[in-house]
Amino acid sequence: MEIGKRIADIILMPIVAFVIGLFMVLMLRKIAAKLQRRVGPPFFQPLIDIIKFYSKTTQVSHGLLHDIGIIMAVGGYLAAESLLPVPGMDGLSDKGGIITLTYFLMIPSLGLALGVGQCANPNGSIGISRALTAMLAYDIPFVIVIFGVAWHYGTTDLSEMISLQQAQGWGAFEMPLLALAGLFALQGMMGKQPFEIYVAPAEIATGPMVEMGGKYMGGLFVMQCFQLYTAGVLYTTLFLGGGTHWLDFLIKIFAVVAIPMMIAFTFPRYRTEDMLRLMWKWPVLAGLLGIAFVMY
Amino acid sequence: MSDLSKIPIHTEKHAPEEARTNPLAGVFDELVRFAQSRSMYMLHYCTGCGAIELPPAMTSRFDMERLGIQPMVTPRQADILLVTGYVSVKTLKRIILTYEQMPSPKYVIGICSCTVNGGMYWQSYATAKKLSEYLPVDLYIAGCMPRPEAVIEGMRALMANIQSGETEPWKDYYQRYDYYLGNQQHLFGDNWQTPTDVIGQAQHYGLAGPETEGEHTRILQQYQQPLVAHKLRLK
Ligand code: SF4
Repeated sequence: MEIGKRIADIILMPIVAFVIGLFMVLMLRKIAAKLQRRVGPPFFQPLIDIIKFYSKTTQVSHGLLHDIGIIMAVGGYLAAESLLPVPGMDGLSDKGGIITLTYFLMIPSLGLALGVGQCANPNGSIGISRALTAMLAYDIPFVIVIFGVAWHYGTTDLSEMISLQQAQGWGAFEMPLLALAGLFALQGMMGKQPFEIYVAPAEIATGPMVEMGGKYMGGLFVMQCFQLYTAGVLYTTLFLGGGTHWLDFLIKIFAVVAIPMMIAFTFPRYRTEDMLRLMWKWPVLAGLLGIAFVMY
Repeated sequence: MSDLSKIPIHTEKHAPEEARTNPLAGVFDELVRFAQSRSMYMLHYCTGCGAIELPPAMTSRFDMERLGIQPMVTPRQADILLVTGYVSVKTLKRIILTYEQMPSPKYVIGICSCTVNGGMYWQSYATAKKLSEYLPVDLYIAGCMPRPEAVIEGMRALMANIQSGETEPWKDYYQRYDYYLGNQQHLFGDNWQTPTDVIGQAQHYGLAGPETEGEHTRILQQYQQPLVAHKLRLK
């Protein structure tokens, strides 16, 4: 691949991701509204919210790490987008592979932890400690799933996985147990109900986000768009055969994100230790069994 | 307050803005004002009975989210401070603390008659009577208590105001801080102070006016103690 195309991909992929992410946030809020029998937000609401936050006149910064934390949170996802192949654009996916991607996906949480640490708000500290514990909970099944999938295809290259799946059939049919465990981990990764104890608006005032206002909150809203998009595309790439063209790709990623959302808004939440227990029991068990089937 | 014409009306002159060179500046301002009016996160400070009308306004019956209005739980993320009901002296301290932590532009709505003039707590020794003496209030929604329709009507009025760019009382708090601080000191005593450095913010963002500092801010500086972090102790 010549260098010009690669640079164009790296610039275009995050923009595409952001636009699709905005629609996913809209879908999320519409699903919540429909489940609660409301009308829901207008079409441009996610974008309007972000513009509003960026147009705040006064900004409250708690220091350098607070600023860097937000940059890391958004930057981690920006880097991750260039590793996720979409139809027509491969970016750096052949160089990076799934292991690099897994590392990149941890950067946002760590960046947030840095930033929140400097805010010195007790609610924020409680929130981020819960968030990191939650990360520990869902990352174990997530890593097991990644390992199983990589073993099955004999590669860590995401675009190669897609072409293999398009030749022999979707990963979800060949590795149903791993796909199930992946869905569990996805639910945790999105930080939505049953597993949103670290946000807990009514008790610890949105936890890690408690001191974020103005442009900081705008940055986190942008991050949420990327987060939903990344989760959808990653799952589609691993188990649903990626996309041959944009239409079926979009249908797949929106469907993948819609499933956890529908579960989310019909459930209350688990406590942190219950989440750990649940995550380390069922998805891990399913994942390990899945690996056993894949290996033998 | 028997004679309506005696109610003091404060009109401020806007400082002349520096000439905008970008031809698209007008369009951009318009877009920002539109976004600010269509996305309002409200922090409902539920002090009194009026708060009970907010849940129906937010949930499926009246659904404020279709207007872009959402509840938010921390002052840093909020745009509107809703004060729903009577304000006791003790509560008022918390309201002011909360208000000063919000990033501007910020708006205050007083819901219920009690915030307008004390309502049925007029004779109480423990309630602050007029909220607008202590905070720059954008809008009052009167009623004991106002129904959700009235609340939403008030919100729409605020939206229209924001979009037309007419009302910006949050600047008033910076420009006439001395007046508000004086009323606060009158109620809480001379040693009243908040962690937010309002004067510093006003100077930093170029919002300070001739009435930002005065005799009351001098009293504040006299009593002001530096903020110290609490020592972490494990018992
Ligand atoms: S106006 Fe009426 S409903 Fe509202 S706080 Fe006062 S007494 Fe309660």
